Amino acid sequence: MSNVVLKCENLGIVFGGLAAVNDFDIEVHEREIAGLIGPNGAGKTTVFNLLTKVYEPTSGEIFLNGESTAKKTTVQLSKAGIARTFQNIRLFNKLTVAENVMTAMNQSMKYSLLEAVLRLPRYWKEEKAAREKALELLSIFDMQGMADVRAGSLPYGAQRRLEIVRALATEPSLLLLDEPAAGMNPAETAELMENIGRIRDKFGIAILLIEHDMSLVMGICDQITVLNFGQVIARGTPAEIQSNPVVIEAYLGKHKEG
Amino acid sequence: MNRLKAMNRTTRTNYLTYILVIAAYVILEVMLKGGGLKAATKGMLVPICAYIVMALSLNLTVGVMGELSLGHAGFMSVGAFTGTAATMCLVDAVPNTAVRLCIGIIVGAIAAAIVGFLIGIPVLRLRGDYLAIVTLAFGEIIKSLVGNVYMGVDQGHLKFSMFTNELNMSPEGKIIIEGAMGIRSIPKIATFTAGFVLIMISLIVIFHMVGSRSGRAIMAVRDNYIAAESIGIPAFRYKITAFTISAAMAGAAGALFGNNYSSLIASKFNIDTSILILVFVVLGGQGNMLGSIIAAAALTILPEALRSFADYRMLMYAVILIAVMLVSNNQKIKDILKNAAEKRTGKKLAEGGASDE
Repeated sequence: MSNVVLKCENLGIVFGGLAAVNDFDIEVHEREIAGLIGPNGAGKTTVFNLLTKVYEPTSGEIFLNGESTAKKTTVQLSKAGIARTFQNIRLFNKLTVAENVMTAMNQSMKYSLLEAVLRLPRYWKEEKAAREKALELLSIFDMQGMADVRAGSLPYGAQRRLEIVRALATEPSLLLLDEPAAGMNPAETAELMENIGRIRDKFGIAILLIEHDMSLVMGICDQITVLNFGQVIARGTPAEIQSNPVVIEAYLGKHKEG
Repeated sequence: MNRLKAMNRTTRTNYLTYILVIAAYVILEVMLKGGGLKAATKGMLVPICAYIVMALSLNLTVGVMGELSLGHAGFMSVGAFTGTAATMCLVDAVPNTAVRLCIGIIVGAIAAAIVGFLIGIPVLRLRGDYLAIVTLAFGEIIKSLVGNVYMGVDQGHLKFSMFTNELNMSPEGKIIIEGAMGIRSIPKIATFTAGFVLIMISLIVIFHMVGSRSGRAIMAVRDNYIAAESIGIPAFRYKITAFTISAAMAGAAGALFGNNYSSLIASKFNIDTSILILVFVVLGGQGNMLGSIIAAAALTILPEALRSFADYRMLMYAVILIAVMLVSNNQKIKDILKNAAEKRTGKKLAEGGASDE
């Protein structure tokens, strides 16, 4: 069995008496794609916000590569290896595409502000390397031609792809994708699916994704966790989930007899 | 020419800004030497430089960092008083005025940077309107505090007191800062060349910072705070860096400004001055450094240029300001200018292709 990248135990958060997420458990391994699905308002994005410490969990523990993240902040978690995309796209709109990606490499760059102001050799060296790496990452989605376009003026699909590239630039061991296919047409979704698989193979990382597009979820996920009203109601392989009566009920409602 | 084409737009704009500033300096310097400037205009050169640096400094906070600061005159005040007091203390120790001015500017910048850093710690935890209001309050607090400082040199020692003059100076001692009366009989050692150098240094610092990982991080926090933290940008640290540098520049500008007049009072650096500098930044365009320079220079000269209107001078100033704001924000006019520019470059390209000798 490969390494466990992410492990959650009894994770929960209460918002003013309402348990938005309760007793959430999951294990994601290296080179594994895990899906997190559930009806609207089930608490999927809240799980992501707990994992990245946008919200502080009220109960439970998270382990990243075996280490507890209890004392870590959002910024430190990025360094520890979690990267994410957002359901409502959050790019740095006034920066160019390449700059968006290079910003995510900030942690691995060493030159100081003084070296930048004086334009010392280390500045040039690291900037050049960062730009080259940014272009290489952008080439995953064939976006190197857009490197100098402002991120805010990109078409919608490209913005979603740029978010993934930006997340990859932080060199994560766990990638969280929040509805990567939202707003994409079937052809784009199929292409995205292929690319997510390629990313997993190329970088050898664990991926946890939230998605409503069932063709994508069922097509690429190794395991699926179903959430409803903040509770895990089912877990298993895509085939198991598809035939699980509890899941069908959560999505379609209970069949009324007579 | 090919190298120029290979540069990206930002780099080209930066070089254009440097070139225009240097050209303006050379022309004005030649006119100064040749006696082609009126005395009134001559006297305005240093204040214009100081206001340009103020505008650049505030543009770093407003345009690059994306936070509205309404207390920028406070940092200018700190720089002006410390910088001028420093040059006055060093009159005998450093006879060379250029060196003394340089020390004064550095002292002003450091003092303002320290104040900016300390104020930044609580203020930068806020955002948007709240931050603007608190900076306004701090600007006023600085003004009140500076207006109550007494300082003197007595037998090689510095003496301070606050609120009342309890310096107990010996007869040969020299009072430098005298509370609300400020500093008097300043030897005016600020020069236009010093102003020019200060503008160039400010431009280089800002452009090089914006083009570095720190600048990208600061702008990332401005564009999207949550996303910036999610990719490991410590937002607060980068904001306080930018704010401190911005305050240091304002302090340097203040030191230049203070050393240009024979007297200096704290109430000069009030909310009106902060707003005036904000007007330079907004009129010139947020994040647009060349725009800030032009707006600062034009709006400093304008009241002088309107002297012939006598009593209606400030009315005309306001009318012109409103007209410029309306025109520069009019989408139709922007489109027309853009089209014209495109036509011209289009033509040039066509010509360039045909007559490639």
